[in-house]
Amino acid sequence: MFGRFLSAEKRRQQLLGKAPEGPVRDYLAHPFPDDRQGILDTVIVSMDFETTGLDTQKDDILSIGYVELQHGAIRLAGATHIYLEAQQAIPEASAVIHRITDDMAADAGKPLSAIMTEMLDYLKGKVILAHHADIERTFLQKACKELWGFAPIFPMIDTLELARQWFDRRNMHFSPHELRLFNLRDRYGLPRYPAHNALTDALSTAELFLAQMDYIGDAHKLRLKQFLVRGK
Amino acid sequence: MEVELLEIRDFLAEHPPFDHLSEETLNKLIPEITIRYLRRGRDFPPADGDLSALYIVRQGAISLYDKRKKLIGKLSEGDLHSQHCIVTDSKAHQGEAMEDTLLYSLPCSLIENLRQESAEFHNFFENRDGKRLKQALSRISGDTLGTSTMMSTKVSDIIERRPVCIEQEHTIREAAVKMTEERVSSLLVTSEGSLSGILTDKDFRTRCVAAGLDGGQPVSDIMSSSISHIDGNVSAFDALMTMTQAGFHHLPVIEDGDLKGMLTVSDLVRQESTSAVYLAGRVRKARNLDELIEASRKLPELQLCLVNAGGTAQHVGNAVTAVTDAFTLRLLQLAEERLGPPPVPYAWVAGGSQARMEQSSHSDQDNGLIISNDMKPEDDEYFEALARYVCDGLNACGYIYCPGNVMATNPEWRQTQKVWEGYFNKWIKTPEPMALMLSSVFFDLRMVYGEAELLESIRKKMLKQTQENGIFLAFMTGNALKHRPPLGFFRDFVLVHDGEHNNTLDLKHTGIVPIIDLARIYSLAEGIPQIRTIDRLVHAGETPSLSSEGSANLLDAFEFIGTLRIRHQATQIRNGEKADNFMPPENLSKLEREHLKDAFRVISTMQETLGSRYQAGRLA
Repeated sequence: MFGRFLSAEKRRQQLLGKAPEGPVRDYLAHPFPDDRQGILDTVIVSMDFETTGLDTQKDDILSIGYVELQHGAIRLAGATHIYLEAQQAIPEASAVIHRITDDMAADAGKPLSAIMTEMLDYLKGKVILAHHADIERTFLQKACKELWGFAPIFPMIDTLELARQWFDRRNMHFSPHELRLFNLRDRYGLPRYPAHNALTDALSTAELFLAQMDYIGDAHKLRLKQFLVRGK
Repeated sequence: MEVELLEIRDFLAEHPPFDHLSEETLNKLIPEITIRYLRRGRDFPPADGDLSALYIVRQGAISLYDKRKKLIGKLSEGDLHSQHCIVTDSKAHQGEAMEDTLLYSLPCSLIENLRQESAEFHNFFENRDGKRLKQALSRISGDTLGTSTMMSTKVSDIIERRPVCIEQEHTIREAAVKMTEERVSSLLVTSEGSLSGILTDKDFRTRCVAAGLDGGQPVSDIMSSSISHIDGNVSAFDALMTMTQAGFHHLPVIEDGDLKGMLTVSDLVRQESTSAVYLAGRVRKARNLDELIEASRKLPELQLCLVNAGGTAQHVGNAVTAVTDAFTLRLLQLAEERLGPPPVPYAWVAGGSQARMEQSSHSDQDNGLIISNDMKPEDDEYFEALARYVCDGLNACGYIYCPGNVMATNPEWRQTQKVWEGYFNKWIKTPEPMALMLSSVFFDLRMVYGEAELLESIRKKMLKQTQENGIFLAFMTGNALKHRPPLGFFRDFVLVHDGEHNNTLDLKHTGIVPIIDLARIYSLAEGIPQIRTIDRLVHAGETPSLSSEGSANLLDAFEFIGTLRIRHQATQIRNGEKADNFMPPENLSKLEREHLKDAFRVISTMQETLGSRYQAGRLA
């Protein structure tokens, strides 16, 4: 309950005390980026998951894509795309969208535990960027809970949330439809990519974030704090 | 990383020079990319951006300016900005995003490595506009629309067989037997092993049987002596040109001093597109105007055939003009047959593109008559009738009357040598708009038929005057600078100086005419008597007017733009459309646009040099 009013860093320290030994505790042992640091100096990991569905209770992650940005530039050097070992048969309804089939997951898929261990290590000292970040956060936390019985918190930036604030601040009316990644990209003159591939969507989100920052202006004066999703 | 999932790779693979890289190399390239975003109005390159990087516009538009804030180009999707990696002739001082722009950048070090690995890549980033253009040129004259390339075929490769020779002391009968046995229609005649003449079937008919000559006489009595020959190393196309212009049907081939054989028209027929030789031949043999008109029906196909055979602008220009000359010549002969011999000597001169041997498809007439100063007033009746016959004949053959009435039928352009000298004198001393307009016609005069000396002495005096007259040259320069090449391309538009966009590229007035004008001024300034633009440029190189590098670059630009033009026209003719000079930019490949930009820059640089030399700005 009180968590909502504490800074992420404070809550990290609280959780660190309770976390069992293992990858989650190791992750929490590393300080979060100082939220007074410049947004341009922050190492941001734009991330997207393809899942078997949107029900975080029942559904699983099928693939993870991520790409890093810092100093107002996306570096493709670290771009990564991973298939996960399927924990359940891939529902036809989702396979149609992301085109990941059981065979692909079986051939190329890696076990969730190995991936999550790597991810938690990689994310130390970084901020996650996602479009509608709730999904990525919930799936990450659910995976940690299943694997190690404990869910950490993650400092995150949400491009959908930034767009909503942009509209609100200008008293502009908008429909939920306009907040979709595809439509926001159009607004900023970004090219159209084929959707529903985790890495492409992570890149799409990263480019959208660059555009949002440039439209706010004076990016070198902006602090990380202004961008972080609060209290979750 | 599975970069193949990113469509960035597909994007790069569609744009030169990345389109030449293997899939493997491209995959290795992707992780090196950095992506940046510039909101409209932001400076380019990005303020904190990497200054040792190559930029590629993924989406959006960038304008580039020089130090004086003059627009020098615009970049759009797929365009590169490489000046940080490669030393270029022209450098942008600053840039600005004109639209929201997404940029990719690659480190210069990587580009340098790729240049070491791939020749295509290396050539693309060749630092001099001129050098790049030279490479582009060798590429377009190498690849052709058709299958056969007479440009790349050597004469020695197409001659049928080893030389069939006979010593000139042998009898006519022996020669006939040899030709029958060897199944050939011509023989090479030798004297002590070296070429002294040729003998064809026709010679037996006209010079032996018809003349009642005995078959026991020596071959030398009926052979054609003092014949020209051709080097076995020249291209089949050049051989075609020689045969068209001279009207030969047989040409001995000599290579490194050795007699290699006989090149015949039928050897060239097998290489297709001999229409120029045949057409010129038909014209020469035409007995009357009706037969000339009949022959002229083949004219529209001529350019198409020549282009299909791999001809460049220069070849096509020479061949088309050779045919026009043949029509003019034959009409003059027919006129003289009707009217009788001229009362005094005259020279029939052609102006404009016919004079420069740069005609393409159908051109209108530009001609005049220079008549001996001995002419009496009553002689004009003859010359008027002569001019009327020729100009009407040309018009009937598809060479329409000159809209500006620059024709020998106009009394102003049917004058004695003395009057013509007066014209030039006046034009040079008091340059006025009308004279400048006519300059492209009259400062490019070539004699087609008649007394060469009549024109040559005028030219000598004229060139002496122009060389000494800076004000005249300044006026000519000011006039020439009215036709400026575009800055380049922006998406599917042509970008011109004021930042406006055009839907089509006028290859003639923004590419070819500016070079013709420059070449004319160089030749007038340096007293160069040549008329063809390429000859003028060659001779002007290393004079005070033009460096040898400038000369080479202009020659390449002229040939490149000219060849694009004739191919564009050939396509139109093939599609049953009327040939024009307007190229829609979307018909140009990305690479062709790059090369055209190089050509435009070459022209622009030379125009500026000339402009500042004569301070044309003040007079124009």
